[in-house]
Amino acid sequence: METVVTRFVHALREQGIRVSPGECLDAVQALGFGGVEGREVVRALLQVTLVKNVNDIASFNDVFDFFFSQQEENPFFIKPEDLMGAYFHIVEGEEFTDEMLEKRRDRPGLLTSAQEVTAEDLQNLDWLKDLEDDSDGPEIQVRMKGYKGKNKAPKPSEFNLLNLPSAAFSKSWSKESNSAFTPEEIADMHEIVSRMLIRIRKDVRRVKEEQSRGKLHVIRTLQKNYRNDMVPFLVSLRCKKKVRPRLVVLCDVSFSVSYASRFMLLLLHTLHNRLMEVRSFIFNQELAEISNLLTNMPVNALLEVIDSGSLVDMDDNSDYGKVLVNFKKRHLESMRGNPTVIILGDARNNYNEANEWVMDEIREKSGYLLWLTPEDRETWQRGDCMIEQYGAYCDKVEYVKSVDELSVILEDLFRSIYTDLAPRKRRNGDDRDSMKEPDDYKDYYKQAKAMVHHDHRMQLNPSSEAWRKHFGTFYQKKR
Amino acid sequence: MITEQGIKDFLRSSGYIADSAIATAVFLALRMEKPILIEGPPGVGKTGLAKALSSSLDFPLVRLQCYEGIDEGKALYDWEYGKQLLYTQLLRTQLDNYLSVSADLREAVERLAAEESMFFSMNFLVQRPILRSFLSEKRSLLLIDEIDRSGDEFEALLLECLSDFQVSVPELGVIEAKRKPLVILTSNGTRMISDALRRRCLYLYIGYPDLDREVAIVRARFPQICEELAHQMVSFLRKARELNMRKPPSVSETLDWANVLTIMNASKLTREMLDNSVGVIAKHQADLQMVKDLAVQELR
Repeated sequence: METVVTRFVHALREQGIRVSPGECLDAVQALGFGGVEGREVVRALLQVTLVKNVNDIASFNDVFDFFFSQQEENPFFIKPEDLMGAYFHIVEGEEFTDEMLEKRRDRPGLLTSAQEVTAEDLQNLDWLKDLEDDSDGPEIQVRMKGYKGKNKAPKPSEFNLLNLPSAAFSKSWSKESNSAFTPEEIADMHEIVSRMLIRIRKDVRRVKEEQSRGKLHVIRTLQKNYRNDMVPFLVSLRCKKKVRPRLVVLCDVSFSVSYASRFMLLLLHTLHNRLMEVRSFIFNQELAEISNLLTNMPVNALLEVIDSGSLVDMDDNSDYGKVLVNFKKRHLESMRGNPTVIILGDARNNYNEANEWVMDEIREKSGYLLWLTPEDRETWQRGDCMIEQYGAYCDKVEYVKSVDELSVILEDLFRSIYTDLAPRKRRNGDDRDSMKEPDDYKDYYKQAKAMVHHDHRMQLNPSSEAWRKHFGTFYQKKR
Repeated sequence: MITEQGIKDFLRSSGYIADSAIATAVFLALRMEKPILIEGPPGVGKTGLAKALSSSLDFPLVRLQCYEGIDEGKALYDWEYGKQLLYTQLLRTQLDNYLSVSADLREAVERLAAEESMFFSMNFLVQRPILRSFLSEKRSLLLIDEIDRSGDEFEALLLECLSDFQVSVPELGVIEAKRKPLVILTSNGTRMISDALRRRCLYLYIGYPDLDREVAIVRARFPQICEELAHQMVSFLRKARELNMRKPPSVSETLDWANVLTIMNASKLTREMLDNSVGVIAKHQADLQMVKDLAVQELR
């Protein structure tokens, strides 16, 4: 019986289910107690002892059916067809058919002598999966952009199956959809945000524990030690004032970026009430505050309101200069406590007055200024795009092309706001000074991004001003 | 000799209808003396299983509700500083006499150190749930509820307790369980439980029950509901579960609803009745509308 169980465990491992030797022993013991009379009894006994995750139950059942449906004398016999099928599936992503088998038989090659291939070979084929696997999400993309020592990069431990990019959001913005959100999208966004919050909370706790938190809080210490006859066994320290991160978001809703701003709005809606004090604005040619609407309205209703044009006229072209001036006039005064400012837009100003001096004032009032654009860097210098002018005042300009990337960037940002670390301090010195060998993946990842970002800033310096003027006028004339 | 069927009958006697997966897991947990980790959506009877087991097997239930920030002082044991101080105060004269015999300070310290263990004994140990269940004279049932609410640190703390059934107290040494309790951990899956903990447990996933079992559950709790009505309401709720609601109605909602219907003295499910009692099934505003729309299709 032991050999059957170990073989079965081996088969499970090949399917990616992690089974430890201890669990294998448990299974043998369980079979001893429960008996091996019925198929379903054995299935139940093995499942309870070997499978420790909901997601694995389905594949366990597959393996079980396959494994125990074979001939009695050789329970681990694998039919050559199945092996070929696995091969095709792994290497070429195609479903296997009989005629393909015929075709392959004619040619001598890797798998023509399929009869002799054993389970170990099947296992060896698994490495091929890694080659084809591009489901690593935005982290890996950022890594490829900026960081060269790929071999040194630690595999992020958080990147398990449960943290993979959600299915409802495709790899990049789906450009055509501009309608209401489906329940799956809303649910997925809730999930992304909850996971984000859990991760952030953990980091915040860690940082807080590391901090020495100021002077002795006499009254609270006495209260705490009342039952110890006032002998201060338990010490209570005076905490720093709780950081209440504030966030101001300006979101372009004009037609050209609507596919991206739509998700930004959803993210904001989910974040509202859950994370921090957020003030949200949408703009096109006009500027309108939607903070109250976000807290009080279901997100689809809000989208309808925005689409109806009662807040800002949706038919206008976006005018960043005017919006910035209006923002300064009406809202800049009330911006307190160095909030983080995020602007989402493509900075296509439709050849209006740029008014970039306002950005300088916003920068002064804000703790951190981040510009998110859905437009690729290659097109930044074409046409009416003003991102170089505006970007020069920002702490960071990020190109986001999917929801996952958006959430990764914001998570990083929130983490640093909460733990009160990097961005605010970074203003004082050069980014590169703080570059050191990363000790965990988060630092490493942040630095990789900072490096990429650093290169932007070099490009963004107004040295290209003359060039832009030239071509800017050229385009203007042409128009 | 305990058998699976025996466990099913036992549980039925306390109003819990188990399927074979649940019975197998309980059977193995009793025989192998391993904890069970139960996962599943809220309200399918994870905690209910523990309660039913404790009453039917006559194991006293020791419950530990997890929350964020729970630590060993709340789960395992704590020292009673107050009592220790009180005792030193009361015993001051005796101590003076006892120590006055000694010639010099060094000897006094040595004499006192010899009696040190007196102040760190079981006398001054506050037993928290896990230790309490370990030290119980009768075999008990330890329910560690909603483990996913606690932090990683707490999970790590549980590892020693759950694999060896012992608690290490630095001042006293290792305290072993007198009778190994039946341990049940529940989780709603809001956080991934670490593999280390999973490995030490048997794993049981309780999903929504199938139609027959759910009808049986309703009938077991509310015998006055007729078979037909139970069947009708359960199949309605099963359809509602497929609606993609924010909080799908669970078995506990089924039971609540059955309770409401008994109070309303219903013999057949009608739309009016549903409209009056929809708040029992749907717990979100958006869900409310979904259930009502479903009722328009399904009920007359």
